[in-house]
Amino acid sequence: MNAAAQARDWLARIAAIAPARPIRVMNVCGGHERSISMAGLRGVLPDWITLIPGPGCPVCVCPEEDVHAAIGLARRPGTIVVAFGDMLRVPTNGPRAQPRSLQEARAAGADVRPVASPAEAVRIAHENPRQELVFFAAGFETTSAPVAAMIAQGLPANMSVLLSARRTWPAVAMLLGADTPGFDALVAPGHVAAVMGSEEWRFVAERHGLPCAVAGFEPASLLAALHAVISQHISGRPALENCYEGVVTRGGNPTARALLDGVFETVDAPWRGIGTIPASGFAIRPELARLDARARFDIAADPARTRAGQMPPGCDCARVVLGRIAPDQCTLFGRACTPRTPVGPCMVSDEGACRIWWSAGTRRRRADAAD
Amino acid sequence: MCLGIPMRVIARDGFVARCSARGIERDVSLFLLQHEPIDIGDHVVVHVGYAIQKIDPVAAAQAWELYDQMLAADAQDAGARNA
Ligand code: SF4
Repeated sequence: MNAAAQARDWLARIAAIAPARPIRVMNVCGGHERSISMAGLRGVLPDWITLIPGPGCPVCVCPEEDVHAAIGLARRPGTIVVAFGDMLRVPTNGPRAQPRSLQEARAAGADVRPVASPAEAVRIAHENPRQELVFFAAGFETTSAPVAAMIAQGLPANMSVLLSARRTWPAVAMLLGADTPGFDALVAPGHVAAVMGSEEWRFVAERHGLPCAVAGFEPASLLAALHAVISQHISGRPALENCYEGVVTRGGNPTARALLDGVFETVDAPWRGIGTIPASGFAIRPELARLDARARFDIAADPARTRAGQMPPGCDCARVVLGRIAPDQCTLFGRACTPRTPVGPCMVSDEGACRIWWSAGTRRRRADAAD
Repeated sequence: MCLGIPMRVIARDGFVARCSARGIERDVSLFLLQHEPIDIGDHVVVHVGYAIQKIDPVAAAQAWELYDQMLAADAQDAGARNA
């Protein structure tokens, strides 16, 4: 059976189910949300199932003070700042006279460059030995593991890392610890699990009693995972299922996990607009401080900048990231805020739910919009 | 950003593999797959220049059906933004 036939088969199986109560399924991966939106799954699934995009965008939750630190470093003479492309356009609050994104800093003369990989950052450092190169690296585990590998392989003397890495499951644990998590089942992120292992997600079923399935990115894999969590929901027997077996194993990638442990330590970390989530961040180990831009440069936290790491005025990204509202429930969505004139980070990043919904023309269905 | 792309290994020199997908070739680091034997012809999931897992060829082909669609949508999106 080819992929399209498999997807149709899973859809038919889901459509044949008549559950006693509706189900809200959260995903925590921008890649999942893109597949769901592009394949138009919300339009073809029965209306008793609501798909909610949750915390799946590392760029969206990168604290404002980190972006400001990167801007500050970029304005320092003799310094090059490189970052994954999305990061350059992330807007922050601040006086108009000063650059409010890395892109604005670049327009004002700073040396800021987008990179697609750690190898590119290392190459630029080698090519500019008389300048300091700072790699501003935001990402979840899938991206943090390559960054850890890059550090373990050795950096040029003129290179350091401004790390803004986050772990995915602690954000879900935080949501599940709230009085009203806002969802009934979880689709766990495929490539995070490829690195960290499916077992990391067992707590969802065993500690919180919610159905959980790891999914890949093709519609067939996502639909298989949805079928799995719906079946668990109906039977009342929550479990962890792996619907991405070609790639995800129980323990994940042992080399990647050992490198993450060796290079980084786990820390409580702030999420923009949300606050500090326990054990949700990676920081470079103190013994590697000379590679850590936070230790290497005097990054003074400007108190005016650290107002709980807020989103821009009027932007509801924080609630979008937490799955509390859908992107089109933000009053600026598609009006003042579009990918061309993004107000908040969720409209900037390819993994931001606002950007994904806008690009795919997604809107809530009437059934979902009623509440 | 957490989306890896499946590619096929076509040559290997230490931790660096030459990989191809859809006619595009890239150097990919195998540093994160040190625990696994990787041979020419194997498929790997590549994210920001690093192979993060092996993937079987059937799953790789299915993934590409999706990415072709995504790339087409991206091109359209970029076109709309630059218009
Ligand atoms: S539509 Fe724009 S302003 Fe509204 S939450 Fe999304 S990014 Fe923020």
